[in-house]
Amino acid sequence: MKKTLRMTLLAVGAALMLPAMAAAEPGVSDTEIRIGDVNILTGPASFIGQAVSVGSKVAAAEINAAGGINGRKIVMKTEDDGYVPSRSFQALKKLLEVDDIFALNGTSGTANVLAMMPLITKANLPTVVTTAPNELVYNPVRPSVFTIGASYEASFYAQLKYIHEKLAPKGAVYGLIRQDDDFGVAVEKGYERAIKEFGLKDGIRLRYKKGQADFAAEAVQMKAAGVQVLANGAIIAQAATVLKETRKLGMDLQVADVWSEIMPPSAKLLAPAGYSYLIGDYIAAMADPAAVKWMEKFKPYMTEADIAAVNRYTFITYAGLKIMAKAMEACGKDLTRACTVENLRKIKNFDTQGLTAPVSFDNERQLGGTAIKVYQINLADQSFKALTDYQEY
Amino acid sequence: MRTGHYKETYGELIALSDSGVAWAWVAALAAALVLLPLLVGNYTLSLAVSVLIAIVGAIGLNLLTGTTGLISIGQSGFLAIGAYTNALLATDYGWPVWASLPAAGVLSGAISLLVGIPSLRLKGLYLAITTLAFSFIVNYVILYAEPLTHGPNGVFLNDTTFLGLDLSSDRGLYYFVLGVAVLVTLAALNLLRSRIGRAWLAIRDHDIAARAMGIDLVRYKLLAFAVSSFFVGIAGGLMSLQIRFINIDVFGFLLSIEALAIIILGGFGSIAGTILGAVFLTLLPEAIRIVLSLFVDPQAPAYTKYIYEIRGIAYGIVIVVFLRFKPDGLIGLWRDVRKYFANWPLAY
Amino acid sequence: MEYFLFLVSSGLVVGATYGLVGMGFAIIYKATGIVNFAQGELLMLTAYIAFSLASSLSLSLVPLMIVTIPIAMVIGIVLERVFIRPMLGEPLFSIVMVTIGLAVILRGVTIMIWGPDPHEFPTGLSTQVVLIGPVPFYQVQLYGLATLAAVTLAAWAFFRFTRLGIAMRAVAANEGAAMLMGIEVSRIHMIAWALAAAVAALAGILFASMFKLGPTIWFEGLRSFPAVILGGLDSVLGAALGGLVVGLIENLAQGYIGQGLREIAGFVVIVVILMLRPYGLFGAREIERV
Repeated sequence: MKKTLRMTLLAVGAALMLPAMAAAEPGVSDTEIRIGDVNILTGPASFIGQAVSVGSKVAAAEINAAGGINGRKIVMKTEDDGYVPSRSFQALKKLLEVDDIFALNGTSGTANVLAMMPLITKANLPTVVTTAPNELVYNPVRPSVFTIGASYEASFYAQLKYIHEKLAPKGAVYGLIRQDDDFGVAVEKGYERAIKEFGLKDGIRLRYKKGQADFAAEAVQMKAAGVQVLANGAIIAQAATVLKETRKLGMDLQVADVWSEIMPPSAKLLAPAGYSYLIGDYIAAMADPAAVKWMEKFKPYMTEADIAAVNRYTFITYAGLKIMAKAMEACGKDLTRACTVENLRKIKNFDTQGLTAPVSFDNERQLGGTAIKVYQINLADQSFKALTDYQEY
Repeated sequence: MRTGHYKETYGELIALSDSGVAWAWVAALAAALVLLPLLVGNYTLSLAVSVLIAIVGAIGLNLLTGTTGLISIGQSGFLAIGAYTNALLATDYGWPVWASLPAAGVLSGAISLLVGIPSLRLKGLYLAITTLAFSFIVNYVILYAEPLTHGPNGVFLNDTTFLGLDLSSDRGLYYFVLGVAVLVTLAALNLLRSRIGRAWLAIRDHDIAARAMGIDLVRYKLLAFAVSSFFVGIAGGLMSLQIRFINIDVFGFLLSIEALAIIILGGFGSIAGTILGAVFLTLLPEAIRIVLSLFVDPQAPAYTKYIYEIRGIAYGIVIVVFLRFKPDGLIGLWRDVRKYFANWPLAY
Repeated sequence: MEYFLFLVSSGLVVGATYGLVGMGFAIIYKATGIVNFAQGELLMLTAYIAFSLASSLSLSLVPLMIVTIPIAMVIGIVLERVFIRPMLGEPLFSIVMVTIGLAVILRGVTIMIWGPDPHEFPTGLSTQVVLIGPVPFYQVQLYGLATLAAVTLAAWAFFRFTRLGIAMRAVAANEGAAMLMGIEVSRIHMIAWALAAAVAALAGILFASMFKLGPTIWFEGLRSFPAVILGGLDSVLGAALGGLVVGLIENLAQGYIGQGLREIAGFVVIVVILMLRPYGLFGAREIERV
């Protein structure tokens, strides 16, 4: 009795598994290709995920309007992770098992990509990482993972280099404040590199806890150390509080900031402190001709809410999906993950129309678009002016 | 209803169950759990693993809070200790999982004694706040003890196997976690029917009276902390096996609240209740997702933007509603239902 | 010396917000015997309401506080009626758990109404720095210190001289006896919640205008635990002092030891204090008879 039951169950189980095996490649049918996107749609960092979704949506709409990829339409499948790594894992699991995706374009933050990495590697899932260009993601390199963007390290190095060469007085004292996580570590590396290469005076290095609200003591420490150039590795509201406190103590600073501070809501928080801070970014600023042109072109594809959500993350995710599409297109009718990965590896000087520097993945880290522009805020209208062109650091 | 059913020896009174029917149902459940991987897809299986891990952790918390009456709102700290111990021993020191997982429990249990010591002097709410403070301190230590813990970079787990089970596959992990959950459940059930379990209950009901009856408060309170944190540490270790990448963001304060919600929902002090609570609350987000997708477009911004908040609110409502209307939890509800049918048609 | 003074001043400023939040905890604990884990969320909700008021009516700081307080009190009363009153007679543990559930609900609702983006809180105050001796302050920071002083004084007078305040102390001392003396205990509980919400509103407005208004502001509630533990859970004035002390400890720890120690300095203090003096510095020792 038990035995027959078990046999029946086995048979049922096998039957249930059959459809998945029958399909040649997961996520691809004759008419569509499903592409996944795990992102931060809820919580304080949700402005990132909202922007990413718009980027994917616009790129997919543009590709589909032009006839799709060898006749197949792109369908985006989005999952929220709220910026919590364990939820990123669950989200990708769902995308792989339930939504049956072919490739992954949005990948949330660094720790989140890392949490998804075991699943990505196992499925050989073609993945373009656009919002977490951290060294932990591409070193060691995973065969199916491709990263666009400069590291925070390069961003801070570029800014400090510019400050050292053009803005700071001779013999200025430098200081750093950074978050106590992987992102902060990357910021400190950039600072370290600038200090070493240019022989700068390293006044103080501070770490703060993620989520900290009060930075008064840190500002006092910086003042005591005589800091004149601040590498401000705090983000958004915290970055604003740091500057507010240094302003209170009457400190005259050159400030290098994180690229999240190029976005209008963040600039609005930081500007009142009255520092004309710099940003080093690998993506075009909203006032750049490339970004303006992009907005003009794609307005028809977007709703009011979409337009409001657009920021740097939109542009980079748009570029990411376009690159992915190019690689899939090169596979012809016989679309497989292995072939897509193969073709991603061949991407060379992909032109993103100035949204980033041309992207190449044909290097051993599978990392492209790393050139950085240094921008400076114009406090009067909170817009950003490019001080340099895209440049490798 | 069973009648004429007398318990004549002490052994019968404390037996796990004397009902053949109950044992038969347990056997059926066991068979279903063993066959589950053959019936469902990998995503469902991965949900099942989450449920089982929640069961292990919540049983740990229930022994402390439900059975002994020592409130802890710092469970995320012990989960973090367990997860990091398992991950670091496995990755950096090459321990096999049969050694690293128990070590995760042991270390978590040992560290819990540090929190347990103030518990000898503190009661109720002061203790709750101490456990909260403790979980913040654990987070801090993990972040700053970088040479040992990899600090902010987090830890990757290598592929591991246990007795030929591939723990990086969904099915292998499921069977492994199922085995651990069964062991933990049995251990907890047996503890509760021993002198230790009864001493804990006495402490919960009135610790001074318990002491007057000859229960060594120091010993049993510390034991409750150690045993509870051992299980929670194991649950943390299992979490690290499931996600295979851990960093400190995984162990947020909300985890501690979820753990409390599970035991409130299930029923204080009841192992069966804890299991029900864990199943229900772990699947609640999925349930909300499914229900909501019936009414709103799943890609609609209002839905995606607030699903996390909706989930949080749902947890809160579950806690409040159950405490108000069903303080003995799902297990109490189940007992009521059973009684209703047993007494039918005389039920009121 | 200047370094030390700067640290002290910033410690007092942040300590004032801890003190105000801590007083909210203490008021409820004193009157009802429960720790209200939703105090931080009360702060959050009232701060966001104040934010909406400030943006739509363009009120400056002091009028804004005056307008927000009655609204906060109504919220406190409603929450007590809906969530806490029905639990009367249940074990304390269950009631405390209800406040944890309430906290999660309030947090979710607030974010759903006001969204997850951080805001600059409009205070209408000048951002000119005020120098007191060598030490610079923003105006709003001075308002924070003044508010703590005013609230502390008011609380002292309230508990010392008013009929209601004395009734609350009676309920705290012995609920049964108070009831027999003709004090309506449930009304006292309600008033305690209203007062705690009012204090939370002040703390929320000050915190949001000194730092930022964002969806993580509820965390300020947990951050203020060290203050109230230091002072003793049932000592309202102790909480105010505890807040200042914890603010000082945090900033001095950061200034002289550093490396992010500030964020846990308060919690280390909790653990140490509780090991040495289980009822805080000013809390009443509970004597238990069996």
